[in-house]
Amino acid sequence: MAQPLAFILDVPETPGDQGRDLSPYDESEVHDSFQQLIQEQSQCTAQEGLELQQREREVTGSSQQTLWRPEGTQSTATLRILASMPSRTIGRSRGAIISQYYNRTVQLRRRSSRPLLGNFVHSARPSLRLYDLELDPTAREEEEKQSLLVKELQSLAVAQRDHMLRGMPLSLAEKRSLREKSRTPRGKWRGQPGSGGVCSCCGRLRYACVLALHSLGLVLLSALQALMPWRYALKRIGGQFGSSVLSYFLFLKTLLAFNALLLLLLVAFIMGPQVAFPPALPGPAPVCTGLELLTGAGCFTHTVMYYGHYSNATLNQPCGSPLDGSQCTPRVGGLPYNMPLAYLSTVGVSFFITCITLVYSMAHSFGESYRVGSTSGIHAITVFCSWDYKVTQKRASRLQQDNIRTRLKELLAEWQLRHSPRSVCGRLRQAAVLGLVWLLCLGTALGCAVAVHVFSEFMIQSPEAVGQEAALLVLPLVVGLLNLGAPYLCRVLAALEPHDSPVLEVYVAICRNLILKLAILGTLCYHWLGRRVGVLQGQCWEDFVGQELYRFLVMDFVLMLLDTLFGELVWRIISEKKLKRRRKPEFDIARNVLELIYGQTLTWLGVLFSPLLPAVQIIKLLLVFYVKKTSLLANCQAPRRPWLASHMSTVFLTLLCFPAFLGAAVFLCYAVWQVKPSSTCGPFRTLDTMYEAGRVWVRHLEAAGPRVSWLPWVHRYLGENTFFVFLVSALLLAVIYLNIQVVRGQRKVICLLKEQISNEGEDKIFLINKLHSIYERKEREERSRVGTTEEAAAPPALLTDEQDA
Amino acid sequence: MGQCLRYQMHWEDLEEYQALTFLTRNEILCIHDTFLKLCPPGKYYKEATLTMDQVSSLPALRVNPFRDRICRVFSHKGVFSFEDVLGMASVFSEQACPSLKIEYAFRIYDFNENGFIDEEDLQRIILRLLNSDDMSEDLLMDLTNHVLSESDLDNDNMLSFSEFEHAMAKSPDFMNSFRIHFWGC
Repeated sequence: MAQPLAFILDVPETPGDQGRDLSPYDESEVHDSFQQLIQEQSQCTAQEGLELQQREREVTGSSQQTLWRPEGTQSTATLRILASMPSRTIGRSRGAIISQYYNRTVQLRRRSSRPLLGNFVHSARPSLRLYDLELDPTAREEEEKQSLLVKELQSLAVAQRDHMLRGMPLSLAEKRSLREKSRTPRGKWRGQPGSGGVCSCCGRLRYACVLALHSLGLVLLSALQALMPWRYALKRIGGQFGSSVLSYFLFLKTLLAFNALLLLLLVAFIMGPQVAFPPALPGPAPVCTGLELLTGAGCFTHTVMYYGHYSNATLNQPCGSPLDGSQCTPRVGGLPYNMPLAYLSTVGVSFFITCITLVYSMAHSFGESYRVGSTSGIHAITVFCSWDYKVTQKRASRLQQDNIRTRLKELLAEWQLRHSPRSVCGRLRQAAVLGLVWLLCLGTALGCAVAVHVFSEFMIQSPEAVGQEAALLVLPLVVGLLNLGAPYLCRVLAALEPHDSPVLEVYVAICRNLILKLAILGTLCYHWLGRRVGVLQGQCWEDFVGQELYRFLVMDFVLMLLDTLFGELVWRIISEKKLKRRRKPEFDIARNVLELIYGQTLTWLGVLFSPLLPAVQIIKLLLVFYVKKTSLLANCQAPRRPWLASHMSTVFLTLLCFPAFLGAAVFLCYAVWQVKPSSTCGPFRTLDTMYEAGRVWVRHLEAAGPRVSWLPWVHRYLGENTFFVFLVSALLLAVIYLNIQVVRGQRKVICLLKEQISNEGEDKIFLINKLHSIYERKEREERSRVGTTEEAAAPPALLTDEQDA
Repeated sequence: MGQCLRYQMHWEDLEEYQALTFLTRNEILCIHDTFLKLCPPGKYYKEATLTMDQVSSLPALRVNPFRDRICRVFSHKGVFSFEDVLGMASVFSEQACPSLKIEYAFRIYDFNENGFIDEEDLQRIILRLLNSDDMSEDLLMDLTNHVLSESDLDNDNMLSFSEFEHAMAKSPDFMNSFRIHFWGC
C-alpha cells in the first residue's frame, strides 16, 4: 500500500494498482497541479503528443530518439507530458504569445509611469509555428485571450499601443487585425468614405489634398535623407568590408562632429566679434605666395587665424583698455565686449564641453559593449554573432567565412593552451623574448623623441634657416617620417615574439604606436613652451606655435596621402602584376585610427594659439574620408583578423579621451597658468599669465558694487581654493568605490543564480526519468496483461482447429 | 521579372505600416517598389505573393548562409506576401528592439524546430557558417561542447530560449550583426 500521505484528496483509486509501487495517480495526490495537468493534456493533446513522436522519429531518422541522455525510446504518455511542459506548449501556440503580451499590458497599466519596454525581463517563449486557428484545438481559449488583449490595448495611449504592437513577434497581418480591433470607434470613422454624393466628393477632394501634401512631405524627407552625409557610401563599405572597417569611418564622422562643435563656439564668440571690429594692422599686408598653404606664415599671419591678431581691448568701446580700472562710457547703442576675457573663457568653455561630450560618449559606448560576466561565453558569441548579416557580396562573404574559421580555430587553440600550460622553461623563455621586444620598442620610441629634440635644437641654433620659409617645413617633415616609419619597425620586431592570443597582439601594437606618438608629441610640447618662448622674446611666440601646429597638420595630411598612394595603390599594382598574387593589401584599421587621433591631438593643442585650426582639421578630415574610401574600394580588402566592432569603438573613444584629450588639456592648462604671454601681440599682452585676465575681471566686478559680489566670492573660495577641489575629488572617489562594490555584488548574485538554475535542471531531469520509468512499467504491465488474455483467447481456437482437422 | 500595375500605396496603409513596423516611410516605399518588380504581372500588390526562391535570391539575402531558414521563418505556407516581406525587413532593420531580434534569431537557428537549439542545430549552424564540410569531427564536437558549457545553464544539453537570450544579451555584437538592408535605396 502507498506510504502515508501528507493530505488526503478524494481521488478514486484504480483497482489494479493495489499492492504495487506508486503510480502517477498516487503521486498526484501529493501534487494536485500535476494531476490537473495530466488530465487536461490527456484529453486535449493526445493528437499533439503523437504528432511530436512522429516528427521526432522523422527528424532523427533511424537512430534512437533521445531527448534526455540515459533513455532510449520514450512512451507516448511521457511524450505527452513532455509536450505539455510550459517551456514547450506556450511556444507552439499563438495564444500563448497573446496571453504573454496581455500580461505585459496589464503590468503596464498598473504602473503609473511609462516603462522602458526594452528593459522588460523576458520569460518569453519561442513561437515555433503559427498554426491556423481552425486546426488549433485551443482556438476558443485563444480568442478569449485575444479579446482580453484587445481590451487592454484599448486602454493604452496610441503611441504606447503602437510601440507594443511593433515589438510583438507576430506576423504583420495579425498585428493589423489587433490594431484594427483595438482602435476606438472615433478613429474608425476617420477612414470611412463619405456617404451620399456631395459628401463623397468632399471626402475625395480632402483625401486628394492630403495625399498631395503627403507626397510633398515624402519628397522633402527623401531629400533630407540624401543630404545626410555619406549614408550610401557607408552602407556600401559596410556591405563590402564588414563592421570593423565601417567603425573607422564612423569614428571619422565622430571627430568631424567634435570639430564642428568647437569651431561653432570659436567663430561665434571670438572670431565673429574680432572680424566685426578689426584692429589696426601693424604694417602693410605681405603678398600672398602659394607657400602659405603649407607653412601657414606669410599673408596668413595677421588674420583672425592666429592669436596675435586679436586685440587686448574691450571692443565697441572707444576709450583705452579697461584693465587700468578707469571708467569708460560705452558707445551709444553698443555692447562692450571684453576681448581677453572672451578669448580665455571661450577656449576654456569649449574644452570643458568637449570633455563632457567625450566622457559621456565613452561611458555610453562602454556601457553598451561590456556586461558583467561577459568575458566568458566567447564561443557562443562567436558562433551566433560573428556572421555579419549586412554583408552582401560574394567575395566579402567568402572572406568572412575564412575569418570565422580562423577565429574558431584560434579560440580552440587558446583554450587548449590555457589548459595545458607550458613548462617553466618555456614560460621563462617566452617572458624573456617579450621583455626584449618591449625594451626594443620603448627604445625606438625614446630614440625618436631624442632625435626630434636634437633636430629641434639644431633648428633653433641655426639662424640662417630661420630666414627661409621653406626651412620651416623640415621639422614637421622629419617628425612625420618618424611617425610613419617607427610603427613599421615595431611591427617587424613584434613578429619575433610569440603571442597566444591574436587579439592581444593587436592591442599591444596599438599601445606601442601610441607610446611612440606620445613621446614625440611630449618632446615637441617641451620644445614649444619651454624653448621657443625663451628664444622668441620680443616677438610673437604664440603666432609661431600656432603656425607650427598648422604646418604639422598639413604635413601629416600630405604624408598620409603619400602613404595611401604607396602603401595601398602601388602595392596592389605590384602584387597583382609582378608577383601575380590575388591578395590585395589589408586595410590596417589600428594604424589609420591612431593617425586620426594624432591629428585631432594636434588640433586640440593648437586651438589656443590658432582659433581657426578646427576649420583646417574639418577640411582635412573631409578630404581624408574621400581619399580613404576611394583607396579602400579600389585597392584593399578587409583585415584578416576579425575585430569585435563594438569593442573597437569603445577603445577608439577611450584612446581619444585619455592620452589625446587629457594631454592637450594639460598643455592648455600649463600655457594658460604658467607661461608669460608675449608683450607685443595678442589679447593678453600686458598680463603676466593668461589667467590674469580672469582675475582682473573679478577685481573689476568687486569694484562694481554689491549686486554681483557673489561672483568674486565664488571665484575666491571655490575656484582658487584647493580645499574645494579636494572635496570634490574625494566625493568622486567614494562614488566610484561604491559602484565597484555594487558590481562585485552583482557578480556574486549571478553566480548563485547560475547554480540555482543548474540545480533546477537536474531536478527536471530526475523527475522526467522517474516519470518515464513509471510509465514504462505501466506499459509493460499492460502489455503482459494483454498478452495473457490473448493467450487465453488463442488456445480454444487452436483446439477447435485441431478438433476440426 | 514581371511588371505589376503600378498601384500607388494608399496613404492609410503607409501610415499603418509605418506605425506597426520599425521601418521609415521611405524604406517601406522602397520595399514596395522592389516587391512590385518581382511579383507576377497584373496583380495587386496586396494579393501578389513571392516564392521562397525569389526572396532567397534578393541581393540582401543571396550570400547569407541562413537564407533558407530566414525564408522559412518569415513566410506563411511557403509564400511571401507583401506584409511578410515588410515584417522580415522590420525585424532586420536598425531600429528594431533587441527582444524582437533575439526571438527571431532563435527561430532561425532552431533548424529542427523543436523549440530548443540542441547539439545537432549547433553543428549545422557551424557548418553553414563555414560553408564547408571539411571541418574535422573533433573540432566540431569540441566547439559544440564549448558553446553548450558556456550557455547551457540547466545542463540539459540544449539551449532554451531563455538561455539563448541570456547569452545574446551579454554580447552587443548581436545587435550590430543581425541587421540587413533590404531596400535598394
